[in-house]
Amino acid sequence: MLIMGEVQTGLLRNLGELGEPKCREVLGLVSGEEPRTSMRPLPYAISPEQFTGVDCRLPGVSGARIRGTGTVAQHAVIVGGRVLQASAYATVVAGAADHRLPWSHYLARPGDIEVHGRPRWADMAEGFMAAEMPMDALNLSAIGGRLMAAVQESPHLDGKTPFKSTRTHLRWVLWRGEAGAPPLLLTLGKGSLRTLRLTGEPATDVTAFCEDLALHDWLLTTIQAIIQRALIGTAAPSQIAARLAPAIDHLMHLWMPGARVPDSYQHLWKELERRPGFSRQWASSVTRIRDQIAVNTLSLLSAAVMTESGHEPDGDISPHRGASQDDP
Amino acid sequence: MLVFAISDKGGTGRSVTSTNIAFRRALQGDDVCYLDFDFGSPTVGAIFGVRSAERGTERGGMHSYLQEKTEDPYRVDIWTDSDRSALRSRPPGAGQLILLPGDSSGGEFPASPRAVDRCVRLFSRLREEFDLCMVDLSAGRSYAADMVLAATARAELSDVPFRWLVFHRWTRQHIIAAAGLVFERRGLLDVGAAHGHDKTALAERIRFVRTAVVEANAPERSALRSTQLAWLDECDRDLHELARRHGVGRTAMLGKVPLDPVLQWREQILVDEDVYASQIANESTIRAFDHIATKIFDARAWEGL
Repeated sequence: MLIMGEVQTGLLRNLGELGEPKCREVLGLVSGEEPRTSMRPLPYAISPEQFTGVDCRLPGVSGARIRGTGTVAQHAVIVGGRVLQASAYATVVAGAADHRLPWSHYLARPGDIEVHGRPRWADMAEGFMAAEMPMDALNLSAIGGRLMAAVQESPHLDGKTPFKSTRTHLRWVLWRGEAGAPPLLLTLGKGSLRTLRLTGEPATDVTAFCEDLALHDWLLTTIQAIIQRALIGTAAPSQIAARLAPAIDHLMHLWMPGARVPDSYQHLWKELERRPGFSRQWASSVTRIRDQIAVNTLSLLSAAVMTESGHEPDGDISPHRGASQDDP
Repeated sequence: MLVFAISDKGGTGRSVTSTNIAFRRALQGDDVCYLDFDFGSPTVGAIFGVRSAERGTERGGMHSYLQEKTEDPYRVDIWTDSDRSALRSRPPGAGQLILLPGDSSGGEFPASPRAVDRCVRLFSRLREEFDLCMVDLSAGRSYAADMVLAATARAELSDVPFRWLVFHRWTRQHIIAAAGLVFERRGLLDVGAAHGHDKTALAERIRFVRTAVVEANAPERSALRSTQLAWLDECDRDLHELARRHGVGRTAMLGKVPLDPVLQWREQILVDEDVYASQIANESTIRAFDHIATKIFDARAWEGL
């Protein structure tokens, strides 16, 4: 048995932060089932579970054609009224038969995909981590993408984003693994793809951990992109401050690793904090942004003092680095 | 911002000019996406030097997406995937440069209402990520042009600014053809109005770009005899008069790109290296691209005519 899933993370298409009642409306994708929300430590809303029927080839590195039938579970999450996640996952189990059974059989096991024939777990797990899968293989990215689009096109959203950002895809797999496999292996792949190999007893509550990790990875990716584009050290302080503003307005307060992770997975966050050190990188990025804002404030202040007194101030509050020491 | 690149005739240099404009815009710091909507012949990958997508992709490109065969269309990151080393290093401060290629096995397909829905979804999705989406349409009246005119008339995209660039060479035939594409029966304005666009407002979003222009002070002219020069000037005056009469005159023009041998013989992205190191391309060509890249976003260039 193994569980495979993909979490897509992106900015919600709405200029302002979405309040709790609106989140409920936006995520009310299934009639008769209410989204769940909570306010502490951060506004959080999760849609009811939806299922997509699949009967297709399963991924594999060996190229063997393994077929599976069943359903994929998916739900959407809004964090802080700002970040949208679509999470699609399926538990792959050995099939009850070598052929396809009536749909009632699969509908009684929502979220399970049954393999026809003998499953090769390691082959499947690695195949699912590959950057380019066969076009006819199970595509959780497509299922998640459709859910993402359904939420983003909601009439309760204004359709605009406060800044441009890239969606990330975290593809993960959890199974018992081969002897000696590390409990967790996170790899940043090409472009926006991240892969996460988890070793342990398969249980679907791991999705909460994967979504939390995907959220924080997206926050890091996005804040890094903002910093990179601000041209620190080259552009004028006021320009840099303007380019960094979205990070302060919309992202910085969302950093709370592990806030929604079940206790049984907290040790994985500890491992990530130890190496590569998610919070370390975040803290350094936040400090960098705050320092740049401080530099800009100082240059504004010194400009104001100069215009008021008509000359250079006595006390050197000027942030002009590298200014000559010989100036009067 | 959505920018649609179109031309009436083939061989105007539409793709090579619009890819270069997209490239300049990315250098200026914008996140840029280039969409190959030339469904009959999706070969933009070649201009960006992406060998794996020279004739489109087999991994689900624009055709597959618009025909509901794939949910996330194949993306090529030019800064990492181009086979041209000069394009493979993203300069500091430069924005994203992503190509969405067509399908290698795809052909033209009609702009069904469902394809228009997909097109609206695609543009809304790309807007989350990109400052500029440059959409390369095939030459002439095409299903692709019909589809994007229908999509941009839809309420979901009503607050997404869009512009049209009509590329044409500086010849009699091309001037008449370009004007026909826009103003004549079943032209862009007609089709747009049929989809619900306001004709006047749409006309204000269309500008012309002249390609392969030989300027009066161009070095190519120095080898010509004085009789040839005089004749050329007369032709040029005639062309200006013709363009003015057809509504393709100076006021409707966004920019012009000089004749550049590199663009003629090898359609490619011009990088600074081509101008300053190997000196195969002209500096004025890059300046022209930069000029157009800036003017696309300059509201004054798009005020009513």
